[in-house]
Formats: sequence, C-alpha cells, structure tokens
Amino acid sequence: MIDQPGASILQVENLNVFYGTFQAVSNVTFNVKSGEIFGLLGPNGAGKTSTLSAVEGLLSPESGEISVAGFNISKQPLLAKANMGVQLQATSFQPELTITEIIKLYAGIYGVDLSVDRLNSILQNIKLEEAASKRFGQLSGGQQQRVSLVISTIHDPVLVLLDEPTSGLDPQSRRQLWERIEAIREKGHGVLLTTHSMEEAEAVCDRIAIIDHGKVIATNTPQALIDLHKNDPDVINASRKGKITLEDVFIGLTGKTVRA
Amino acid sequence: METKIPRTSEAFRSLMRADFTTQWRNRRSVMMSLLVPLIILISWKGLIDKFGGAFVFSISLTIGLVSIGMMGYAISVARDRDKGIFQRLRVTPMPTSFIMISRLMVQLGMIALLTLGVFIIGYEVDKISLTPAGYVLTFVTAFLGGALYLGFGQMIVGLIKNAETVNSTTRLVYIAFIMLGMFGELGAFGTELKNIIHWSPFGTVKTMLASAMQPAIWNYDATIALVATVAYALVFSFLGIKWFKWSSAGA
Repeated sequence: MIDQPGASILQVENLNVFYGTFQAVSNVTFNVKSGEIFGLLGPNGAGKTSTLSAVEGLLSPESGEISVAGFNISKQPLLAKANMGVQLQATSFQPELTITEIIKLYAGIYGVDLSVDRLNSILQNIKLEEAASKRFGQLSGGQQQRVSLVISTIHDPVLVLLDEPTSGLDPQSRRQLWERIEAIREKGHGVLLTTHSMEEAEAVCDRIAIIDHGKVIATNTPQALIDLHKNDPDVINASRKGKITLEDVFIGLTGKTVRA
Repeated sequence: METKIPRTSEAFRSLMRADFTTQWRNRRSVMMSLLVPLIILISWKGLIDKFGGAFVFSISLTIGLVSIGMMGYAISVARDRDKGIFQRLRVTPMPTSFIMISRLMVQLGMIALLTLGVFIIGYEVDKISLTPAGYVLTFVTAFLGGALYLGFGQMIVGLIKNAETVNSTTRLVYIAFIMLGMFGELGAFGTELKNIIHWSPFGTVKTMLASAMQPAIWNYDATIALVATVAYALVFSFLGIKWFKWSSAGA
C-alpha cells in the first residue's frame, strides 16, 4: 500500500479497450496521486466509463497496464480491488435489503469488523439513523448516493472510484456530496471521478483529464487548462459570457456536436 | 501498510445471508415455487387412486422445480444483472464465482424446502407415504432435477440480456411446461406428443422422481431418465455459463 502523500496510487498506461472492432479507449495514460481528486471528463461515449470499468476490473483491456497501490489489476485482481472503493453509476444494491443489511453485507465482503457502535456512527455520519431499517429502494436519490458513497469507503481504501456521483441530485445534495468527496481527499485517499458537470470538475477536482473519442486530449489542473486554452479560437467561439470557463475549454476541445 | 485480502469464508457468509434475505422478502417467487406445487398436490388428490401417489408427487415436485429454476433463479438473476447488482459485487475483492455459488445455494435451499413441503403435505393431506429409501432417493433426485432447471434458467439469462424479455420468456416456458407436462403425459395431446414429453426435460425429471419414490421398482427407463436429466443439466449449464454476461449493457 502507498503511504507517502502525493505518491501515485493509480497508474494507467497505454490502455486500449475494444468492443468487437470498435476501439472505445485508445492509448490512455494517466495517474492519480494520494490526496488528490482526479476528474475524467468527456462527452457521451468518449470512453470515460470504459476506462473506469477497466480500472475496476470489470472488463479486460486489449492492452495496457493498470496498477492500484502497486498491484496489477489483471495479475493481482483481489489485491488491487482490496485497495479500491467503487461507486458505480447505477445505484446497484438489492432493493429488498435494508440500509443496515447492505452496510453489513459489504463490511463482511471487505472483512471490516463492524460493531454496533461503528454501524451507528456510519449511519449518523450519513444522516440516516432514522432510516436504518428502510429498504434501499425506499430511499431518495440523495440518500441512495450517500449510502453508496459510504459503502465505497467502508474499508478505508487508498483509491476511491466514483462514476458520475452527483448525477440526478438536487443542488443541496450535490454540495453535500462534494463535501464528502473532499473529506475523502483530506484523509489522504485518492479519488478518480467521472462527471459531465464542468461546475463539479472546477469545484472539486485538483486535476482533470479530458477524454474524447477514446483518447486523452488534455490533462492538467482546471485553472491551468483554462489559462492554456483561453486564446484558442474554438474556445473563444464556445464562450457565452465573455469570461472563459472550463466548460468553454471543454466545448472548444471536444466540439459542439451533440453525442449520442 | 500491508494489503490483506478479506477472508473468503466471511465474505461468502455475508453474501449468502444477504441472498437468503433477498429471497425470503421476494414473496411472489417463494409463493410461486412452493404454493403452486402444493395446490396441485392437494387438488389432484382424487387422481391418486387412478395414477398412484408417486405420479402426483412427481408432477407436483417437477412443477416446483421448474418454478424454482425459472421464477426463482432466472428472473432474479436477470433483474439483478439489469440493476448492476452483479457489477457492484464484482468490484469487491471476492472471487466472482462466489456470486453465483451463493445464488445457487439459495435455490438449493428452496428445493429442499419444496421437497419437504411436498412430503409433509402429501402425507398429511393425501396420505402418501414412502419408504425411508424412497424419501432419501427422492431428495437426492430432486436436487438433480433442480440442477436441470437451474441450468435451463441459466441458459435463458445467458441467451437473453433484457430483464423484461427474460421475465416474459420464463413465464411462457413455465406455463408451457405445466400444460404440456401435466396433460401431455396423460395422453391429452396424442401418443406422439406424449413420447416427446416423456423424454423432454419435464418428462425425464418426472420419471426419475416417480421412480425414486419407489426404489424397489427402479428400472432401465428410470436409469435412462436419470442419465438424460444429468445430460440436460450439463448441456444447459454449459451453454448458460458460456453465453452469460454479467451486465445487461454487455460487459
């Protein structure tokens, strides 16, 4: 496990993912450091989720290397997975189980000793003590995301992967979730998140990579990307309010065409 | 700090507990698997004198097994795949095979419950009793028959990705099995169809179960039915596993 702050905890090198003959990810390379929130941005179908799925071990890449805390996801999948916490795009828990049962299930899977006090403290932390015996399917979108996030960090992983974590949330729930993601960073964990929201990327990400047509076309801090591209004609053309934003840079780099 | 992979026994125990709880709360599936066979057992009481207790027992058990494979296993797998529940479990440090083994254990529990229920109701209501060897052999062959229908269910979820289509297909197959199996074996649809049904997945399981209930009269036909059941189970399971995708999106 990586202990040094700022050390690389996720290393993705020359990743290539194919679906049949279609290449979804092409030579993608990036890294995530501990104590960093790294955003993966891109239009629909750009290859964000495919990249994340390869990191999670859900699909086998055609070529490339992925290591989590020094463990290769293909060669040492269980060790790599023991070091990562994952929040998937879908709220993917059995709707028949209560929140308490779901937390107990994943604590058991990750080998976490869950005392009654610890369980209560978790429920208190996500403000769901009153809803402890409610079934997952009965929770609101924001509550489901909180449960999902707490489960992704229940084993204190060095790397947390979040696939569009605030999608479909109201502004209050979104802000609250940002604070929770930032708290993960404060503990020294690394976070890799995908998002469509430029506001989110600017607000919480330390560095971002813009991915399009399966390729990483830019990697930097949000402000550095704005500074670097603010004079590009396509970026200026995309600007709506005079001041160049990350969204303008994103549109300038990936184009105005709506993707399927 | 050293990375430790969680103990597999603890992970498996947690998963099984959750799967059993999910199954228990999924009342419709439990009712379909247990209630329909018991209703048949009770309502066919009048036929026992004509066809024998073993015939009614075996029909009732076979329908229960079809229901467990179709309604219990296939529909729940299709639904959970569609919701991303499998993908969520696959990103944990637990062998992927545990996910399906745990599900199968739940269904084996259902088969045991069904068989016990049929024995008890058969004895209490229909006054059907078997020899100790008959009870044991029926129990064992019920699991073999169950393996066939779980394999069949696996083949359906392997072939069809969409949860709604799996849902409607399994219901159609279930009804077809009940109608053709129950009435076809009685000769209601002619001799040719009766022969086809006799060697179909429904017929072989029924024959095997009926013979297991009376070990003293176990014959060549029963042995062939047992071999055919195992062969069906192996082929269906092989194809179902080969075609199966963990995500309805294709990954």
